[in-house]
Amino acid sequence: MKESIRLGKLNKKEALKYLGYGNNEPDEKILKLLDKCEEELLETARPQMVYRCFDITEGEKGIEVEGTNLCLKGNSIREHLEGCDKAVLLCATVSAAVDKLLRKLEIEDMASMVVMDSLSSVAVEQVCDKAEEMIAAEFSDYYQTWRFGIGYGDLPLTLQSDFLKALDAEKRVGVFATASSLLTPRKSVTCIIGLSKTPVSKKRRGCQTCNMKDRCIYRGTDSGCSSRQD
Amino acid sequence: MNNKFRELLKNEYVILDGAMGTMLQAAGMKMGETPEVLSITNPQLLTDIHSQYIKAGSQVVYANTFGANAYKLEGCGYSLEDIVEASIANARRASDENPLPDGSRALVALDIGPIGQLMEPTGTLSFEEAYEMYAQIVKAGKSADLIVFETMTDLLEVKAGVLAAKENSDLPVMVTMTFEMNNRTFTGVSVPSMAITLSGLGVDALGVNCSLGPKELEPVVKTLSEWTKLPIVLKPNAGLPDPKTNMYNLSPKDFAESVKELLVYGIKAFGGCCGTNPDFIRELSSMLKENGNPEVVHGTVGAAVCSPTQAVAISEPRIIGERINPTGKKLFKEALINNDIDYILNQALEQVKAGADILDVNVGLPGIDEKEMMVNVIKALQGVVDVPLQIDSTIPEVLEAALRIYNGKPIVNSVNGEENSLNTVLPLVKKYGAAVVGLTLDENGIPKKAEERFAIAKKIMDRAVAIGIPKEDVFIDCLTLTASAEQEAVMETLHALNRVKNELGLKTVLGVSNISFGLPNRELVNHIFLAMALNNGLDLPIINPNNEAMTGTVRAYKLLANYDRNSVDFIKAYANMPKVKKIVVDDNVSQQPGAAGVSDGASGGVPAGSAEALMHAVLNGLKTEGAQCTEELLKSMDSMDIVNEILIPALDRIGADFESGKIFLPQLILSAGVAQAAFQVIKKHMVNNNSAPVSKDKIVIATVKGDVHDIGKNIVKVLLENYGYDVIDLGKDVEYQAVVDAVKEHNAKLVGLSALMTTTLVSMENTIKLIHENNLDCKIMVGGAVLTPEYAKQIHADFYAKDAKESVDIAKRVLG
Repeated sequence: MKESIRLGKLNKKEALKYLGYGNNEPDEKILKLLDKCEEELLETARPQMVYRCFDITEGEKGIEVEGTNLCLKGNSIREHLEGCDKAVLLCATVSAAVDKLLRKLEIEDMASMVVMDSLSSVAVEQVCDKAEEMIAAEFSDYYQTWRFGIGYGDLPLTLQSDFLKALDAEKRVGVFATASSLLTPRKSVTCIIGLSKTPVSKKRRGCQTCNMKDRCIYRGTDSGCSSRQD
Repeated sequence: MNNKFRELLKNEYVILDGAMGTMLQAAGMKMGETPEVLSITNPQLLTDIHSQYIKAGSQVVYANTFGANAYKLEGCGYSLEDIVEASIANARRASDENPLPDGSRALVALDIGPIGQLMEPTGTLSFEEAYEMYAQIVKAGKSADLIVFETMTDLLEVKAGVLAAKENSDLPVMVTMTFEMNNRTFTGVSVPSMAITLSGLGVDALGVNCSLGPKELEPVVKTLSEWTKLPIVLKPNAGLPDPKTNMYNLSPKDFAESVKELLVYGIKAFGGCCGTNPDFIRELSSMLKENGNPEVVHGTVGAAVCSPTQAVAISEPRIIGERINPTGKKLFKEALINNDIDYILNQALEQVKAGADILDVNVGLPGIDEKEMMVNVIKALQGVVDVPLQIDSTIPEVLEAALRIYNGKPIVNSVNGEENSLNTVLPLVKKYGAAVVGLTLDENGIPKKAEERFAIAKKIMDRAVAIGIPKEDVFIDCLTLTASAEQEAVMETLHALNRVKNELGLKTVLGVSNISFGLPNRELVNHIFLAMALNNGLDLPIINPNNEAMTGTVRAYKLLANYDRNSVDFIKAYANMPKVKKIVVDDNVSQQPGAAGVSDGASGGVPAGSAEALMHAVLNGLKTEGAQCTEELLKSMDSMDIVNEILIPALDRIGADFESGKIFLPQLILSAGVAQAAFQVIKKHMVNNNSAPVSKDKIVIATVKGDVHDIGKNIVKVLLENYGYDVIDLGKDVEYQAVVDAVKEHNAKLVGLSALMTTTLVSMENTIKLIHENNLDCKIMVGGAVLTPEYAKQIHADFYAKDAKESVDIAKRVLG
């Protein structure tokens, strides 16, 4: 399914976390800057998302996504999808127009650019939130796992290109992977949500096992790093 | 020459085929597989599909080559050439085995889709790489009857493809792009921009395919019919997909009925995209047979130029901004010499904000490679501004290089009545589908009399038309002479302009500020002359849009001449006009209302223009105040003292506050922005006084090969520049060798490398390796989200910087 999404208000608290504020209150000037950037971002962004639900089976090399040539390898994704008989592949973006806006601000005003950058990361996560709600409504008799980002844990980032192909994401939402498996437009997300008939643990994998654990600025925040890419 | 498709287009209508992917999936192909391989592994399946379409009425079938490019076929086990040849052969077999009712054979199209990578600057694919990839496909597909580009979303990628097609074959070319509900492609291309750019490049037919059903595509088709005279192609999806089942919602009959509603716009070629099959083509064919296809005159919009996102019709006066030009500007010249593209981008953004509709781009300066600079500047400009550009150079090679990579339809500035100019410039204008400024001068110089200039204008027009440039794409400049030297010539210019406009029916362009040279109160003379010219029919004034009197003259004229209906634009520009005249501190310092530039009087009770006030401005992120204070201080204080006694200590304090968690990243950057503005003022002051610029050692920085996440690197750059280092920024996705070359060229003692993702760390390692292999005497610092101090050590970096602040500490340590 492919959908253009309208974004409402952006979660500025989350943006401030990305900016390193933790639980500190920003001053008046930064609050004003956030408001201004939010307005411009909502005007510029063209949020898009595409998702598809596939049956999954455990194969020799990893988890096979039926009807595609995708094989999900590694322990992290196996744990994530434990007990699931379906997986939804999701790709969301706020479009290349945001890349251009960031480039423009970089020339005009670096501080606005930094704030805009964090807000647009928040925006693409909010597109995913909306997608998650739609998936929940569509598969109401299933329990849903959290969004497992491609490249998270030991699921290789190099899966990106095949993942996008399975969703036809290039054609449907205009998202591409570079040769080094980075997503373009920059503010885009790819992730996997497991669907299970029986309750799944919603708890994220702890930060303890993450290779970023000593330096991560999101560690200890409510939502952790989630499937954030940028 | 294979002209069969061109002949076919003379018919009342042309029937194309329907979806290929849908048919292959129905035959069991998995999502994500490479469909082109089937052309070799299962040729019968492909021939069957083509045959079904021909039997349903298709006069053109698309070979199974949509993704047959070097990037998408990588690792598939077959060569591109083998796949393309087999795919065309399968279609040809179907065509031969199934003659059309009139005995003719269905044509076979070489079908070409997007490469599968986003183009620079959002992605990493360059124009040149895209061109090479397309050229390879075109050469492999010579046995087809025509070349089709479809499902395209990036206009520059299309341009690379069309040029590759035209330069490597003489087959007809058809292009369809894919538009979303907002009538733009994913990369933001507008329908008018597509129409005028591709009409200029000389394709045979153009239109739209995929993404939506016929009904949803109505606005796209309608706009297209207004903006192009070329045959229009429509290949919609079978409606919209059902969210639950992924099935499309239109039946073949409904599909044909919806298409019928669009016949009023004058469509020539019809087919289907995702979700359609031979039944859809059959219904389409019988609908057209029954209903007929009315002939509709379309393409009524006249002269226009564009960027991919913005088309500007020259149906009313439009301002061409003249500021991107080094003539008489010390800072601009220095920026060109130092390859400071950001300076030029700033000039562009400022002019657009002030009201420019088009920007003239001139980067000619003795001692620099103008061709390379022009290409770099145009690429960079198109990455940040939406307005169309005017390419300004006297060198044909520079013009051609720029025309090639320009995204959209530009203006060429300029051709003149000299034989040599006509013979070299006009063919370029024709080939790349640009508009052109014609100067009314020739071998004998600028004629004194209006009628002689008129005669040259006519000659330029005739010569342009003779080689196939539409008359509407010729804009004539009757040339402004200086009133103080040749007073009687002023009216000659205006008479010539008037005649060119009214008798030849051409658009006119004029640079106006020359008029007042040598006179006092130049502004007054300039804007009155501009008003006179506008009233004589000037369409494209070339002015400094930052000069309020000039831009205001154009706005007021447009209001009075009834272009600006209900005074909407005029009121928008002046409704909130400040009562006091704004003090322009430095035309390079951008101001962010509500953000950095708020002059809120919060100078903390310290005397304006004092050292304390500047310190206060930096600490509190007050950009405008910071620049003003610096200006004041320069009257009584040495510039180096300002830097060393005020700016650096202020930055140190901010840095320490950041480190200790008292302030956060946005505040750090705000302060850095103030310091940057202050440095600009100092630099301008020094350049104007011919003193040596303030700068310490050189530092080369780059985001490594394969990585496009450069925000961190850019923050580092601002901070390093704040401390007076001369930063050579190589950008993102930088080749290993380019880093080595830059270190050598600038004799840099410190290199900063950034990488964000695990997949690009290896590029960082390789870059470091190459630096060491070249025995360069420089230290290397690295940073980026996934880096650790341990990893930095392991790849033999000298320093690990955890943030931008630390990179400054390292620079101080290494360079002092």
